[in-house]
Amino acid sequence: MALPKDIANTVLVQVYKHLPWLGSRWARRRRFVEGQGVPWAHLAKPLSESVVALVTTAGVHLKSHEPFDMDDPDGDPSFRAIPSGARGDDLVITHKYYDHSAADRDINVVLPLDRLRELLAEKRIGGIGPFAYGFMGHIDGPHLRTLVETTAPEVARLLKQDGADAAVLTPA
Amino acid sequence: MGLIQRAIEAEGIPTVGISILKEVTQKVRPPRALFLRYPFGHPLGEAFHAAQQRTILSDALSALETVTQPGTILEPGYRWRRHRFE
Repeated sequence: MALPKDIANTVLVQVYKHLPWLGSRWARRRRFVEGQGVPWAHLAKPLSESVVALVTTAGVHLKSHEPFDMDDPDGDPSFRAIPSGARGDDLVITHKYYDHSAADRDINVVLPLDRLRELLAEKRIGGIGPFAYGFMGHIDGPHLRTLVETTAPEVARLLKQDGADAAVLTPA
Repeated sequence: MGLIQRAIEAEGIPTVGISILKEVTQKVRPPRALFLRYPFGHPLGEAFHAAQQRTILSDALSALETVTQPGTILEPGYRWRRHRFE
């Protein structure tokens, strides 16, 4: 049987989905790690010659991966490397803090690998990085530091190794 | 998500992020963002709407070539379930 706190979470997820102003209010009141300056890198070559990689915080991973930790209220700062050839049937979403029913039916709602393949076929981009990287959002407390100091820079280095010229990030 | 984006950009890889919470994006300040007034869980739009998803992804990619001011938030203004994507 579902625990009362799980039911409360399910209700909240729906309330936030249908009342976007609530999310805005939450964002205004909550403190975030605010950016000092803005990092900047130039696209070195035209988009049509650039290798593009996807990174998502929507909790997507391969079915064979270990799921993200849903028991820790501060979230899970780890990531999963998803081969870019993965199809919807290979993937699953572990994330209880948003309504992913649409993305469960069509993963492109949060991780548009099929659309990226189409843009490659149209030569709008030059290539697709060998891996997409999946995080779950909703990271808080001590895990924020792990994300900022360890796992996010690690993914940045992996993208470099992958030969990615640009990255597109998608939230939940 | 913006924190991850900033880390990737800091490594020398240009990035663009889709945003559905502008207030968060304004605070975290990623280098380039495409903001959509869409419900949580739908950054590329509706399920099985390939034209919509492709347009949004394409808009995000365009930002990599067109944005010159760090911290720019682009707003194409698509209305949820109202805009007709070709």
